[in-house]
Amino acid sequence: MNLFFKLLLWFLVTATLVFGVMYFITWTFQTQPMFSRVQRSSRNQMIIYGGTATQIVNSEGEDGLRTFLSRLKDLEPPREVDLVSDDGKVWFGTNEEIEDSQELISRTLVSNDAVVDFSPNEKALGAAPVTFPDGSKYVLVLQWETPRAPSFFFGSWLGYLRLAGMLLTGVVFCSLLALYLSSPIRKIRDATQKLADGDLSTRVADKVGNRRDELAYLARDFDLMAERIEKLITSQKRLTRDISHELRSPLARMNVALEIARTKANPETQPVLDRLEGESQRLNDMISRLLTLSKLESGSQDFERSTIDLDFLVKEIAEDADYEARANGKSVNIVASTKCRVMGNETLLRSAIENVLRNGVRYTKEGTAVTVALTNGSREARISIVDHGGGVPDEELAKLFRPFHRVEEARDRGTGGTGLGLAIAEQAVRAHKGSISAQNTADGLRVDIVLTQADGSKGPHVN
Amino acid sequence: MGMNRILIIDDDEELCELVSEYLTAEGFETECVHSGDKGLERAKTGEHDLAILDVMLPKMNGFEVLRSLREGSNLPVIMLTARGEDSERITGLEGGADDYLPKPFNPRELLARLRAILRRVEGREDGFPEKMEVDDIELSTSARAANVAGESITLTSVEFDLLATLLKHAGKTVRKEDLSEMVLERKLSPYDRSLDMHVSNLRKKLGMRPDGSERIKTIRSVGYIYTLV
Repeated sequence: MNLFFKLLLWFLVTATLVFGVMYFITWTFQTQPMFSRVQRSSRNQMIIYGGTATQIVNSEGEDGLRTFLSRLKDLEPPREVDLVSDDGKVWFGTNEEIEDSQELISRTLVSNDAVVDFSPNEKALGAAPVTFPDGSKYVLVLQWETPRAPSFFFGSWLGYLRLAGMLLTGVVFCSLLALYLSSPIRKIRDATQKLADGDLSTRVADKVGNRRDELAYLARDFDLMAERIEKLITSQKRLTRDISHELRSPLARMNVALEIARTKANPETQPVLDRLEGESQRLNDMISRLLTLSKLESGSQDFERSTIDLDFLVKEIAEDADYEARANGKSVNIVASTKCRVMGNETLLRSAIENVLRNGVRYTKEGTAVTVALTNGSREARISIVDHGGGVPDEELAKLFRPFHRVEEARDRGTGGTGLGLAIAEQAVRAHKGSISAQNTADGLRVDIVLTQADGSKGPHVN
Repeated sequence: MGMNRILIIDDDEELCELVSEYLTAEGFETECVHSGDKGLERAKTGEHDLAILDVMLPKMNGFEVLRSLREGSNLPVIMLTARGEDSERITGLEGGADDYLPKPFNPRELLARLRAILRRVEGREDGFPEKMEVDDIELSTSARAANVAGESITLTSVEFDLLATLLKHAGKTVRKEDLSEMVLERKLSPYDRSLDMHVSNLRKKLGMRPDGSERIKTIRSVGYIYTLV
């Protein structure tokens, strides 16, 4: 879940909790005591009403009592007034509400005292005993609206409006806050990704805007870091390039000197000179590859691109590699091919495929063949190169594409690798936004190069 | 025939000395120059049969020297490309170099290419008829001159031989292996694209046919063919 929604959600949870706590406090410390007070005063009132009724019926007779009860009924707030005898006869008032009050009436008769019953959301009931001159027992029953503290949010349109207003304001402002916090973070994240992809010139402070908070400092620190990394890497790359370049001049001189020595040397010296020439050639290969790699790794370079018939390219490289492999009793076979085209730089793609293929030829056992398969999916073209060289330990698979990474040093030196071929292949494939990966097979290594097909490639058909 | 005079233009004095020693032992006469402008001046005198030109030169680089030289001279040139970068190779060949060698080079390779170019220039027996006419192209072997639609075009010696070979077999595919041996006088080695580059330069110089079709077609993985209408 992204930061924006998280912040919004947190706000909503917080708002709900605050609301709940406020409600609890108000109810406990304000509504509840008020309610008890109202209950007490209602009971006192009932006692007075009951006493007064008894006095009136004794001094002024039944007519006086009727007048009193009628007056009682007209008082505010509106109420129902009934007078019921102890055997259930209604002496005054209507018969309707008596059913609900039966329990209250019997309680009053038993205790001979006023009783008040406040049940929430129902009407409040009060009952008080009244004694007639003849000694017969009656109960005065009063029924009225329960007094209620008006709810702040619920129960009225104004309350709901308040609630809606609060939530809406909260959501709007919280969204703004979330946006304010998350947008610079997103920008910094984008920049980090770009930097990770090799765009060392990425800077972010300007995009974060004119703020003076931790996020702005983070952006500034990011820029400082990026600048430092850029400087370091650039100077390191320049160093690699310069060293490689400078190494070539003495190498060139050495080659010529070697050849002059050859013309003057006796036959016994020739094998040593051959060896010297071979080593010088290897040094030269390594320098070329280092230069290629450092050029590719800088990543920002724009390569000339054109549409390439991948099937032809693969065929051409495979034939060249086969020619070389046959000299060592190995071979290269194309086992599957399909018409497909990619957009890219032919030289780079050629060197990628060539390096992987030559690597396979180098390691595959004598008498075996390296197989090449070109297949295509709906959007991708896949080149799989499988050798029979025993593979590499699983934990080494991912490291294969690192410059100068060697699985078995001794063996590799014997086979004449420079340790840069696969690194070059990876960089070249990456420059085409493709992917390269290695897997172990039963008795060898399989390397897959996946590229995006150019539009307008024809459907699969086997050549 | 006297000794061939080779002009070496390279700012690496020690390398010049060594190459000079090597070539002298092989029967050439050499002259070393260590800067581009001086080299250009010497090359223009016409005292030399071939120039070995380094790309990385102070003041005036190898490409500039070559461009200026080509304005009035057909002196065969082998370029030494320092970085071995493809863009440099192509620029070198387009600028009219007869061949290129990435530095550091094998001196035997240099010698072989040098001799091949000299043989070609001196008009060895290459089996081409004196006059060849195919389509609107006219070749005059002894003068090593080429005309397309009546207009003269400038070809390097490699390009001339390449065109002559393709025209001689016009309508038939010539295998890359054969072309390499006949024109470059070396076996086609895997991963060597110089032949392709020479062909590509030749195509640019010849242009399309009036009807817009390509004169030299590539038969992928096999060779090239000069198509007949």
